[in-house]
Amino acid sequence: MFRSSDHENSQKGFQMDRRKFLKAGVASALTAGMVGAMNVLPAEAAEAVKNTAGPQTGAKSKLHPVVDYGGSSVSFVEHNDQWLGTTKIVGTIKPYHEADQGFYMANRGKYSPEAQQGFYHYKFVMKHPFGAAIAQFAMSLMAPQMVSGQPSPQKLPIPDPEQMSQHIKDAAYFLRADEVGIGKMPEYAYYTHKAPSQDDLMKDDLSKSIPVTERLPYVIVVMIDQHLETMLASTGYDGISASQSMRSYHSTGVVAVILANYIRGLGYNARAHHFTNYASVMPPLIMAAGMGELSRTGDCTVHPRLGFRHKVAAVTTDLPLVPDKPIDFGLLDFCRVCAKCADNCPSGAITHDRDLVEYNGYLRWNSDFKKCTEFRVTNKEGSSCGSCMKVCPWNSKEKSWFHTAGTWIGSKGEASASLLKKVDDMFGYGTEQIERYKWWLEWPERYDITALKH
Amino acid sequence: MGTFLVFLAGILFLGGIIFIKPRAKQDLKWKTILNWVLYVLWFAITGTGISFIYINSSVGHVKATSTAIFLFLGLSIVLAIVLARFLGFIGKKRNQQNTNLEA
Repeated sequence: MFRSSDHENSQKGFQMDRRKFLKAGVASALTAGMVGAMNVLPAEAAEAVKNTAGPQTGAKSKLHPVVDYGGSSVSFVEHNDQWLGTTKIVGTIKPYHEADQGFYMANRGKYSPEAQQGFYHYKFVMKHPFGAAIAQFAMSLMAPQMVSGQPSPQKLPIPDPEQMSQHIKDAAYFLRADEVGIGKMPEYAYYTHKAPSQDDLMKDDLSKSIPVTERLPYVIVVMIDQHLETMLASTGYDGISASQSMRSYHSTGVVAVILANYIRGLGYNARAHHFTNYASVMPPLIMAAGMGELSRTGDCTVHPRLGFRHKVAAVTTDLPLVPDKPIDFGLLDFCRVCAKCADNCPSGAITHDRDLVEYNGYLRWNSDFKKCTEFRVTNKEGSSCGSCMKVCPWNSKEKSWFHTAGTWIGSKGEASASLLKKVDDMFGYGTEQIERYKWWLEWPERYDITALKH
Repeated sequence: MGTFLVFLAGILFLGGIIFIKPRAKQDLKWKTILNWVLYVLWFAITGTGISFIYINSSVGHVKATSTAIFLFLGLSIVLAIVLARFLGFIGKKRNQQNTNLEA
């Protein structure tokens, strides 16, 4: 039955005085605060939430169930005979000799005599004592028996390919990988031959090159960060530059060598590819494993979160696995309008061209690897160079809500990429040196290799 | 810490609402709406600016910090003055004097 007081109330309508408003406001704020403060779901619910969040193909790791793409808007694309991710294949990609890549070309005397001298025995790295210390360790992983070998004659029982992929990813994370992906191994990524010794290369004698005959169906790619704070303090081409590379080269090498050894122990073929012993070129493997897109530099990939600030090693294997799909986070559109790496490249190696060109059967930007190699091995202001890494808007800063928002905007096409680049420039990201993080020592007297006596 | 700051921001937002509510309602509806829109905009820009400046300064991005102080706090001050004028916190007295003079 309708009471008269109710009727009166309904006629007056709901009125909120200041006291009621205050109470309601405080109650709402307290509720919101408590929900935020709890922020702890029951373990099973948290697991379910984690496993449904974020885009991903392939097997999910238990240790890192959500792949961290930063703020980038990522979609998954194809790996077939026309596309490797977002890289268009327009002809036949011919595999090449390891001795035809930039550093070995310098070693063979195809560039300047100074560059030849700079690369010989990795002097351009060894001239900085810290870089030398890490690189010498990485050399210990070079021997053929470290990267390869016969698999165990008895195959151990293993779970189905999806569970095995999950397990391999978790093993890589356990070994301290920052990111790991699995891809279908593109055959054209194998070198035709491994380069002979550096002494033979000095004479441009390729007769002792070793043919690469391995053809395995899958590749596991392991990625490790080159360290944010160090990059923030560096000019990009000072004494620490090569050490940053070596940090990730040696650590990815360790992970890859152990993973390959483990897989061989299970009875399957596996070969580690790392800084001191490759049988394959890395960028196509990174793209195949869904860990990056080819950038304006022409031969380096960018990861959605780490940008250029990474190095990788890989394991090729016939262990049954489920490959991830290549990713598209709008990098081609971004690189087309950004060109910040080209603006800041100390050697002028990176092109300002807007359009891609055909190179060895695929489309890429036409950067000058000779200039890049020359600068890195003869740099008189430091050891090697990573200026493109330093300035790239995808990796020039710490994790925060506005950088996450920025990369999300940047991955949405040319107009938004142009906006992100302008904002990045306006705030001075990538071109500053933050002195408080400068922890390393410099020996400028050692940087001119031609003046060094030993 | 982050949760507490969100909580604090919520409290300040509501406190601001209570503070301006008596003055926000105007004779014309669009003016009332404008007051509230300006308040929300001012709060969002100020909050965003404080967060942006705090994070950038703690990492050591000098140019980003100084640019953000100029940009966000500048916008915040301009909006605050406009809002204060609309709400009658400033400028009212002079208007009254003008009216008196005209009378």
